Amino acid sequence: MRLRLLFAVSACICAAWIVNAADIPPPREVPQPAVEVAPMPREVPQREIAIAPKPRAIRIASREPIPEVIDRYIASAIADANVTPAPQADDATIIRRLTLDLVGRIPTTGEVDDYVKSNDPDKRAKLVDRLMASPGFVRHQAAMFEVMFYPEGDRRGAFRDYLVNALKENKSWDKIFREVMLPDERNPKQKGAGEFLRSRVADADKLTNDVSTTFFGVNVSCAQCHNHPHVIDWTQDHFYGMKAFLIRTFDNGGFLGERGSGIIKYKPTKGPERTAKMMFLTGTKVEEVGVEPSAVEMKKEKTAFDKAKAAKTPPPAPKFSARTKLVEVALEDENADFFARSIVNRMWHRFFGTGLVTPLDQMHAENQPSHPELLAWLANDTIANGYDLRRLIRGIVMSKAYSRSSKYEASSDLPSAKLFAVAKLKPMTPMQLATSLKIATTDPASFENLKPDDFEKKIEQLESSARGFAALIAQPTDNFQIGVGEALLFSNGDRLTKEFLTDGGGTALGYAKTLKEPKDVVEFLVKTTYGRPATDTELKALVAYIKKRNGREPEAYKQVLWALVTSPEFRFNY
Amino acid sequence: MPRNTFCRSLEHAIDRRAFLGGTAAVGATLAADMTALNVLAAPEVNGALKKTQKRVILLWLAGGASQLETWDPKPGAPTGGPFRAIQTDVPGLRISELMPKMATRMKTTCVIRGLNTKNGDHGSAAKIMMRGRRDESGLRYPDLGAVVAREFGRAESKVPDYVTFYTQTEGRNMAPGDAGFLGARYAPMELTTNNYPEHIRRLEGLTDADHQERGELRELLGKQFGEGRTSETMNSQNEAYQRVRGIMASEKLFDITQEPQKVRDRYGPTQFAGQVLIARRLVEAGVPFVRVGRAWWDSHGQNFETHQEMVPELDHVMATLLDDLTDRGLLDDVMVITLSEFGRTPQINASLGRDHFASAWSATISGCGIKRGSVYGKSDEKGLKVVAEEVDAGSLFATIYSALGLNPHKNYYVGSRPIPLVNPGVEAISAVLE
Repeated sequence: MRLRLLFAVSACICAAWIVNAADIPPPREVPQPAVEVAPMPREVPQREIAIAPKPRAIRIASREPIPEVIDRYIASAIADANVTPAPQADDATIIRRLTLDLVGRIPTTGEVDDYVKSNDPDKRAKLVDRLMASPGFVRHQAAMFEVMFYPEGDRRGAFRDYLVNALKENKSWDKIFREVMLPDERNPKQKGAGEFLRSRVADADKLTNDVSTTFFGVNVSCAQCHNHPHVIDWTQDHFYGMKAFLIRTFDNGGFLGERGSGIIKYKPTKGPERTAKMMFLTGTKVEEVGVEPSAVEMKKEKTAFDKAKAAKTPPPAPKFSARTKLVEVALEDENADFFARSIVNRMWHRFFGTGLVTPLDQMHAENQPSHPELLAWLANDTIANGYDLRRLIRGIVMSKAYSRSSKYEASSDLPSAKLFAVAKLKPMTPMQLATSLKIATTDPASFENLKPDDFEKKIEQLESSARGFAALIAQPTDNFQIGVGEALLFSNGDRLTKEFLTDGGGTALGYAKTLKEPKDVVEFLVKTTYGRPATDTELKALVAYIKKRNGREPEAYKQVLWALVTSPEFRFNY
Repeated sequence: MPRNTFCRSLEHAIDRRAFLGGTAAVGATLAADMTALNVLAAPEVNGALKKTQKRVILLWLAGGASQLETWDPKPGAPTGGPFRAIQTDVPGLRISELMPKMATRMKTTCVIRGLNTKNGDHGSAAKIMMRGRRDESGLRYPDLGAVVAREFGRAESKVPDYVTFYTQTEGRNMAPGDAGFLGARYAPMELTTNNYPEHIRRLEGLTDADHQERGELRELLGKQFGEGRTSETMNSQNEAYQRVRGIMASEKLFDITQEPQKVRDRYGPTQFAGQVLIARRLVEAGVPFVRVGRAWWDSHGQNFETHQEMVPELDHVMATLLDDLTDRGLLDDVMVITLSEFGRTPQINASLGRDHFASAWSATISGCGIKRGSVYGKSDEKGLKVVAEEVDAGSLFATIYSALGLNPHKNYYVGSRPIPLVNPGVEAISAVLE
């Protein structure tokens, strides 16, 4: 029976799309999705909005700091499982991890040395604050959010600009949600936010699922064709209920338009055709009581849309906006749990490499979090503190759970990843990798004695110059596998050689040429790539490699540097 | 004007050559190669590979080849066009006269005539016909090549798992190879500018010994880092680097000058012929999947000239490939598929073209566990719809998987979610399986 159930789960991949597909679509044109917008039923007397009342949840800001709470729950689960966690990582590893996670690059050797040598008991907090205050934080986090909003890689420049500005202004997550879902397109600062919806309105099913997945951690696509066979939370009513909020939204000549009416009818797997009620994932319904707009009103609405289109201005908002209702309902009382839990889970995943709930789009009753109380606490704390992303991020990266070693040398078996007892290796993103390559191959002296602003400028320049190479590297996903294409690119492509492994002035290899002893070169190159002293094994092997190439040392140095940056110690955030 | 004249002209049996004008002679140069088929070298024995590993060559007819000018001709029908149908070596099976060579080799092949795939948009139809289904929101399916690479590729393989040629520019970005949720490990090696893969050659200025030994240094550093650490992604990176030297050694496979001149002559002088010959070399060396894209069949205008030019090339190259595989004893283990994103409308438009048509079109499967010399599916007399044995993308893929010896209901897992090779409820066409 269990097997049958599992099989039934996979039945979500159903073929309802066939219904929409025309037998002979018009040649050379992208088929338009079937229009499902129908006028409101006539019998309803007047328009008003009723939302099912819910007891008001009380959100109390806790006085306990986030890192302590995280560590308490994580330690207790580790103790319950009776496993030995990995020890705390060393300082060089911690600054590498924090710098990669917060600002998207490896630290310079100068930054590593300062951190490792410092005896300041608050040095970690000070480092985190410095990194989070730097422009690199905004750039890197915006890039990470961009992947979250556009996981398929079909990214939009205007949306990215919006994200950068939003994070620069430290906008709260609920504010970003409002602006993405309800952008004021007259405001140039919010125009880009509308791209998220505008790039999806052509396919209302995808729009529905992407909104639900991105903001609420719930992939409702399974419920599109039938009630979820395995997850009682999700029925067809949930899918169409969410879709009903979004079906009226369309692209009106480059601006988001929304009709004041329009319903979806769907045929359930059993029983007669139904009209979808606007319904949030929790089951909260938005009753729209109103009259069907008269032909005159419909015409008036259409004229207004056409006029706005011709004038290239945002169209007027409807009197009753279903999309606004979705935003209101989603942030209301207990409904907000989905929104809050999802962002907490996504931030946790960003810094730990695994979510408290995994996968990120399956937050439902049949897929319990590894630490339910911790997730609930963090979600509550996030709501109580106004969805402050920086506070959440800072709390996560200041925890001891975050700074464990990725090495597990206890004699027992590796503990389950769900315990967070050992740090997970995270493959670098394309930009992390390319920017880090730039930093590692630059002469470390060129970062020294710079004013903070100049240092940041230099980092930004390196980041920009790394962008082209980054485009050749795959964006990691969960269960990411590195393909032979990447190994061939690094082994035989000329871009690594031409853009990174050069030995002119200001480069690491250029400096290496000025050193006399192979041993000094090896120590220097290991330090600039890995931020730590060379091991005996490395010294022996790398020095022997160089000595064998007597008379052509510069080439040997280049090859040693190649081996260092292609090894997993460079490729991964450990 | 043209359409009416044309239809009437057929009824009145006006000379086709006069109608098609100067393009009629195009097939002739290729036809001369037929004689070479009689002077084959002794078949090679392919040892262990042959028994264990199935392989696929997909001839991807990009833009949508016309079923009416290839596998499902309707001579005499108002939609039939100017070409006749000819009898094949399979009793009762007639194909277009543009394919005389395949007509004598249909005993190797199964024709699927009842494809109804319901999507007539190049990009999304190509996705469906390469995956056997439409992507779900939030779940990208692997295409046929990635699945075959995953099923038949070996971790330590010294050859690529999935190679795809698509050198014409038309439509190329509409049908890229895609490993979907199987990830970069099974992503195709794409050849778009010439017949040599990117990054397969050592850079000038780096000696072979240095290339090898710096790789060994990398491995040593990797081992040192790996102590006490467990990660599938890290393993995949190490495996990827371990395969580099082997794949570089397979460069020769892409070099057709390694083939005897008489073999190259047999395939013919075209780029498509050369790529199909490389595909044969690759599968022989154990590459599980090779796609050779041939563009651009999108004949909205002058459908008949286009097909008169392109079908004889397909006919010749496909026939040569099947002969070559047969002679080498490979046809039981190497499957050859012809497939497009869709077919073409029976209706002939004002520009004497045929438009996109997904309701009743054809594909072929040769070799491996497919029933050879079979036909499945029937379109009506004008070719407007399927009247018997309809097949959709899903059951076509289930059939391909079954003929390769794979269980189409086998699951992959995305997280804990089981994802079968084909959607639930989709079954292979048992009538065409051996």
